[in-house]
Amino acid sequence: MIKNLKIFWLFATYSMKTTLQNKVGLVLFTLGKLIRFGTFFFFVFYLLSNTELLAGYTLNQTIVFFLTYNIVDSLAQLLFREVYRFRFLVVSGDLNTVLVKPYHPFMRILVGGIDIMDAFISVIYMILVTYFIFQLPGISWINILMYLLMIVNGLLIAAGFHIAVLALGVLTTEVDHTVMIYRDMTRLATFPVDIYKQPLQFIFTFIIPIGIMMTFPVKSLLNLLSPTIYAICFTLSITAFISSIKLWDYALKRYQSWGG
Amino acid sequence: MITVKNLRKIYKTPIKTDNTLKDFFDRQYKEHTALHDISFEIEQNELIGFIGPNGAGKTTTMKIMTGILYPTAGEVQVLGYTPFDKKHEFLKQIAFVMGQKNQMLWELPATDTYKLNKEIYEIPDAKYKKTLGELTDLLEVGSFIDRPVKTLSLGQRMRVELIASLIHSPKVLFLDEPTIGLDIFAQTTIINFIKEYQKQYKSTVILTSHYMQDVQRLAKRVILIDHGGIIYDGALKELVEKHSSLKRIQVMLNSEIDVQKLKLPADTQIEYQYPQLRLTVKKDQIEEVIQKTLSHVDYDDITIENETLEEVIKKSFKQE
Repeated sequence: MIKNLKIFWLFATYSMKTTLQNKVGLVLFTLGKLIRFGTFFFFVFYLLSNTELLAGYTLNQTIVFFLTYNIVDSLAQLLFREVYRFRFLVVSGDLNTVLVKPYHPFMRILVGGIDIMDAFISVIYMILVTYFIFQLPGISWINILMYLLMIVNGLLIAAGFHIAVLALGVLTTEVDHTVMIYRDMTRLATFPVDIYKQPLQFIFTFIIPIGIMMTFPVKSLLNLLSPTIYAICFTLSITAFISSIKLWDYALKRYQSWGG
Repeated sequence: MITVKNLRKIYKTPIKTDNTLKDFFDRQYKEHTALHDISFEIEQNELIGFIGPNGAGKTTTMKIMTGILYPTAGEVQVLGYTPFDKKHEFLKQIAFVMGQKNQMLWELPATDTYKLNKEIYEIPDAKYKKTLGELTDLLEVGSFIDRPVKTLSLGQRMRVELIASLIHSPKVLFLDEPTIGLDIFAQTTIINFIKEYQKQYKSTVILTSHYMQDVQRLAKRVILIDHGGIIYDGALKELVEKHSSLKRIQVMLNSEIDVQKLKLPADTQIEYQYPQLRLTVKKDQIEEVIQKTLSHVDYDDITIENETLEEVIKKSFKQE
């Protein structure tokens, strides 16, 4: 465990060093993300200034939903950024140099490219969400704890998805489109999935579990989830994670080592 | 140390046709057998050359021995481990250097990759410093070890790459085309280093190279692979003796001659362009040919050479 933490830390440090070498890219990327966030934030205010409620949620609650989506999304990108570069590793054959090292390959290909820019943006989201959570009435520490637990649960599903992308990359060398599908799907949870009618709401919650990942943390904060739903959420995320690991093992057995 | 028994590897590849829609909805696959039930054993401290044309199965064998590929059938044991299990204890004892494959952190100095490998291989501080110092001296990388890897030449990159692969002092070293693309000076540096390293660390080294001089200078034993099968496994010297039946004589003449007057054996190959006379003769005719030639010509210099290893290997592939 200590060995893995040391390796994780070194990869994170080197990733940061590499990122900081490109100052223009760093500024433009961060600026782009902040502009997008600002525009959406303004949109939420504008929308709710006319309707007052969105799917039964107040302005502050909707903002917390929106910020929570951004936190889960940017944490997933912060942690799993290396997946976006995986295709090159496979087609160039450099993946072989990872597979012969005495560590789990996920240390390099899943979490080996911590993105410092997403870390910076995530901190802004976290400060804002803390502020807005304390604006909500009747929130207990238990609610906050469950909220954090559900965010971790959401990240576990995100990890499972990214591992599945890696496995598909090994089997087919296809990575980019699968990641884009993930990005497009998660965007559907920018606002609570309650805004969708059935059966879409059910699909976006339990079949494509973006609701569990991004909406349910806030629902748990607002005390809107039953113990049964919690049990379903945890079972689903653990199942998704274990299944993705099995898929990875399957893919490794069929790896053909492209690129010579 | 390494046991390979009836190893088979079959690759499955899609068949591409002109009908894109058919390829998409009803894709057909063909199987390509890269290795046909090969078997061999390698002892500790051996240095073995794997030789064969492109696609013969050399690299596939190495990738199975290092746990990268899963074998279709057969049994492989390296240092008592099954490679594909990818046990960390096993991976800590091997290294796989692939020419033109890169494990270095591209934007950062080589020393950063070494520090990372120190943690990955859990190398104690003192041992790390000692090994790094020794390897830095052996490969003479001191002047560029602190420069970003992307700024290094191919030869320099191969040298820093070798250090990254050897920093944990592996017991078994797999080298797949370690000198590919390098100029003659860089090639010599790498080959001398491998020789010195194997002697110093008593490692087992398995080498593939298209440059026969590399194999000749390093390996006493060679395994010839073609079409996924082993066609020879034994001493390089014996292979050369078995398949090398010709000698080359090169004479630098001082005056022009009529080659017909030399009356050389009928099967002697003669290439004559004054002042150079080149003769290719059977080994058992060498004395007769030299005697006849030198008694009829006024010469300045004479050299006698064996066939090159490339020629011997080509012959052995044809004959087998």
